[in-house]
Amino acid sequence: MEARESGAAFKKETVFKLLSLYFKDDKTKVSSDAIVLMAEMLKIFVKEAAIRASKQAHTEDCDCVQVEHFEKILPQLLLDF
Amino acid sequence: MADTEEQRKFTQTQRLKAAVHYTTGLFCQEVAEHKEVEFSKQTIAAIAETTFRQCEIFARDLEAFARHAKRTTVNAEDVKLTARRSNALFSFITQRSEELVSNNQEQKEKRKKAGGKAKKKSDAPLQSGMDEDEDSNIA
Repeated sequence: MEARESGAAFKKETVFKLLSLYFKDDKTKVSSDAIVLMAEMLKIFVKEAAIRASKQAHTEDCDCVQVEHFEKILPQLLLDF
Repeated sequence: MADTEEQRKFTQTQRLKAAVHYTTGLFCQEVAEHKEVEFSKQTIAAIAETTFRQCEIFARDLEAFARHAKRTTVNAEDVKLTARRSNALFSFITQRSEELVSNNQEQKEKRKKAGGKAKKKSDAPLQSGMDEDEDSNIA
């Protein structure tokens, strides 16, 4: 399978800093498993956004995915997450 | 003094946004190759910005779930809850979570065996416990 071709991923430290930026309580910590899972969640979010936008562009017979294609799929994307 | 604190937070936010933007670009590149399309720079920036803002929602949810369970540490169960809206997403995250748990188990067992060699006893703490009981009975 081409599972290993997807080498891109969010770094654990980035994910941790992203989350702790919005924590209201300073004492809140994150387990390492949770960080790995959140990195997966964010990866799926980005890929879902990209794939849906590219499908929208394809529906409109465009080779290049523009912001307007992304804007059209954005509401459903946010509802699905 | 308040200015430098704000500046520090602003710089940190900018760095994080840049990191998200970079990784988003990598993901979009993969999708672009796969679907044979191109992503405009504005689109990648828009996806990155949306992801960054979505993190706020995730973070607040995670913290609320952990607090609801009377914990200060966010764990895998909290992440699973944030994935509840979509069945496919939920089952994917649950599966990954189980993979992580079994990986952790394997690593624990490896460490026990490595530690056991040094002590010269077998990696079965239950057995050594029973041995001690027998000794105390005799004594």
